[in-house]
Amino acid sequence: METSNLVEVTSTRVRNFMLAPIRKWLLIGVALSFLGIFIFIPLLAVFSEALKKGIGLYFAAIIEPDALAAIKLTLLTALIAVPVNTLFGVIAAWGITKFNFKGKNMLITLIDLPFAVSPVIAGLVFVLLFGTSGVLGPLLEANNMKIIFAVPGIVIATLFITFPFVVRELIPIMQEQGSEEEQAALTLGASSWQMFFRVTLPNIKWGLLYGIILCNARAMGEFGAVSVVSGHIRGLTNTVPLHVEILYNEYNFAAAFAVASLLALLAIVTLVFKSIVEWKTKRNDHGER
Amino acid sequence: MFKHSKRHRVLPGFGLSMGYTVIYLSLMILIPIAVLFLKATTISWVEFWETVTDERVVASYKLTFYTSFIAAIVNAIFGTLIAWVLVRYNFFGKKFVDALVDLPFAMPTAVAGIALTTIYAPNGWIGQYFAQLGVKISYTQYGIMIALTFIGLPFVVRSVQPVLQDLDQQYEEAAATLGAHSGQIFFKIIFPAIFPAILTGFALAFARALGEYGSVVFISGNMPMKTEIVPLLIITKLEQYNYGGAAAIAAVMLVFSFILLFLINFWQWKTAKKHQMT
Amino acid sequence: MEMGITLNGVTKVFGAQAAVQDINLEIPTGDFVALLGPSGSGKTTLLRMIAGLEGLDKGKIFFNGVDYSAKTVKERKVGFVFQHYALFKHMTIFENVAFGLKVKPRKWRPSKKEIREKVFELLRLVQLEHVADRYPSQLSGGQRQRIALARALAVEPEVLLLDEPFGALDAKVRQELRHWLRDIHQKLNITTVFVTHDQEEALEMADTVVVMNHGRIEQIGSPQEVYEKPANAFVYSFLGRVNEFRGAALLNVSDKEEAVGYIRPHEILLSKIPKRYSVAAEVSHVHAVGSTVRAVLRRLDTNDFFEVEVALDLYRTLDQFTKGALLYAEFTNIIVFKEKEKLGRSMIVEKVTGEAFSALS
Repeated sequence: METSNLVEVTSTRVRNFMLAPIRKWLLIGVALSFLGIFIFIPLLAVFSEALKKGIGLYFAAIIEPDALAAIKLTLLTALIAVPVNTLFGVIAAWGITKFNFKGKNMLITLIDLPFAVSPVIAGLVFVLLFGTSGVLGPLLEANNMKIIFAVPGIVIATLFITFPFVVRELIPIMQEQGSEEEQAALTLGASSWQMFFRVTLPNIKWGLLYGIILCNARAMGEFGAVSVVSGHIRGLTNTVPLHVEILYNEYNFAAAFAVASLLALLAIVTLVFKSIVEWKTKRNDHGER
Repeated sequence: MFKHSKRHRVLPGFGLSMGYTVIYLSLMILIPIAVLFLKATTISWVEFWETVTDERVVASYKLTFYTSFIAAIVNAIFGTLIAWVLVRYNFFGKKFVDALVDLPFAMPTAVAGIALTTIYAPNGWIGQYFAQLGVKISYTQYGIMIALTFIGLPFVVRSVQPVLQDLDQQYEEAAATLGAHSGQIFFKIIFPAIFPAILTGFALAFARALGEYGSVVFISGNMPMKTEIVPLLIITKLEQYNYGGAAAIAAVMLVFSFILLFLINFWQWKTAKKHQMT
Repeated sequence: MEMGITLNGVTKVFGAQAAVQDINLEIPTGDFVALLGPSGSGKTTLLRMIAGLEGLDKGKIFFNGVDYSAKTVKERKVGFVFQHYALFKHMTIFENVAFGLKVKPRKWRPSKKEIREKVFELLRLVQLEHVADRYPSQLSGGQRQRIALARALAVEPEVLLLDEPFGALDAKVRQELRHWLRDIHQKLNITTVFVTHDQEEALEMADTVVVMNHGRIEQIGSPQEVYEKPANAFVYSFLGRVNEFRGAALLNVSDKEEAVGYIRPHEILLSKIPKRYSVAAEVSHVHAVGSTVRAVLRRLDTNDFFEVEVALDLYRTLDQFTKGALLYAEFTNIIVFKEKEKLGRSMIVEKVTGEAFSALS
């Protein structure tokens, strides 16, 4: 009995041993093909199309005044939206993770709302609020203020879209860390600020950085929401993605891809940053125990 | 019994952080969304009903749901496969591949949109082969599905990957010593363990696809009744200054999205609780 | 006015349940106190309330006669050692210990040189000078615990509070650290309160043991007092191994329904021949490693199992009995408690010797 069982187990092992490498490379092959077709080729296409008409035209498309204006506006938007939502993210994550209160899950779900709202609807919401026939439209007009089809509208729409990024990165990290180190700091006589800057912040810095990177990528790349509120005024209310759209719709493909390649580069930089952050946090985790 | 009313909190900043969070959340998110629903009610019920049951609107709802669903299914299958390969196998360039999975998160949608359109156009890198077979991808439903698959892929991979990573291989080894072959091990041991994560990833990809605009608008061709997605229809209404109509269509869409969001959060909360118990 | 720490009717409610209920306790300056109890007895909550890490729902806490109930953690200036150490992961050991000195307001903050001297003095005290530049993740559990203590001592607290200080350590390190902590207490003479669920630890280290259960204090006393004169059945059974008898097994006791009899394994006398008050019993398991022999026996009359501990030489005189052997057991010092109806607590009603069982043998 026992020997026959043993033989059977061994033979299964042998069979598995023979099959495993074939299965392994088959699965890897399928996975890589899928990723190649759906993700890598599009990325490659951006740069290939951008350089199709030569490097001279590539740079010409980028330093053209309208393109530069779009780059400026995109940077300005990110420069406002990212810090505002970072500050919110840190404060909200502190309140949510360090205290117990009723309705916490509800609050987290509400913070997630922008993820569930189509970018176009996000834009629409602000048109309905601040547009000429919107709720606050008459009031704004009376004070000679313009939000929709102007820069403030673009910034507000971006704030809405990038709202959850930082706080969603921080909540799981801070939840896992608990609050013992903060309590220890307090028993050692630290003030609230000392506790936050010397203990909490160093502990969440990588997660925070990652959240900021993601938030920034989205702020610079947002298309749908910004498209609705911007009005597409060349040189004035065009962000980089909107500029890409205009060039593309004018069949100026090489220029469209040239400008798009800047955004693709931003995506690559974001991914590299993300890998570094992941590598750093993993190393820290290993050192832990 | 007498009870002290003021709760003692050891760490500082509860009032400040909650106050700030709730005010900012309300101003930035909740009030604007409420305005949308308010606007949708400014038109009469009949008008509302006529707007959202208009042939063209219903066609776009159907198209959006259908293509999003197909894309999410494709992602559930291949996303799980990719997660498996990334967790269980070692191969050259794995780190690079792992980083690449997040590209759809990082890449602006408009860029993805024009790139995919170009590749799958009848004279594009991939589109030309399909063109020889007489299949058109760009400017058809298939194009929409491709764009939505691109957008949703990371959701499934990133949901399944950590669960697979934490899965104790002891269970598989135990099953193997009990005589199970690899197919049985996968479907009886591994699949039930990662199924909640696959479902979460599927739902997230689906929800994202429903609202997607940037990557789809270039590849879809935007033919009314055929390849016109809901977000595009909302923009069309806006350009016609039909704010009530736009709000009505958006309100219906939002309700669907919110239901989905609450289901996902509830589901995650429930599985997290189950995890804690075991 | 009383010096040290005074707790006056201290109560803490979590949800509908009182975690700590109406605690009154005096801790004199320089005392070494153990809060002993099973998990969920409220001992950690009580410790955290003394530190200000948990608020009071009722009652008052005085430090040296001053009402500290409303003071913040920072104001209380206690040294607190967390169960899982709570060392700052991103700081070196030196920085960890120096933290409390570096966060002092500028006018009281020592100079860099003074901080350095103070930190190394403390590291010498905990015998870990050589790890100053390492990170907490590079230390063993016992080393981390010592650093956590050094860090707490750096601010020269008047009170040192330790939450399950050795809970996460293995048996050998735990034993070493007990002696070491006692020494440190003797050297510095700081009022010290520590929480533990290990009765051996409490009895061995503390000057005063506070036994807690269900958020209340069951008994306060020196280790000898609580061990030898337990106030009730809970204290008796929590402080050592016990055999428990109920009902028919207890004779000569009035109100058998509510009475519980306890006897420690080493208080049962075994013999080969029947004695006046002995009971016949069969050996069902013998564990004979070390200087004492442990055995489980079954009473032939009531079929109750009980545990016995005998010294090795006595074991030899009993022919080194094995499983199945028949012996006679004398219950020399049984303590009978009567359960108080409502509180589920009990009090001693009588202390009986062998007669309690005699009629059955």
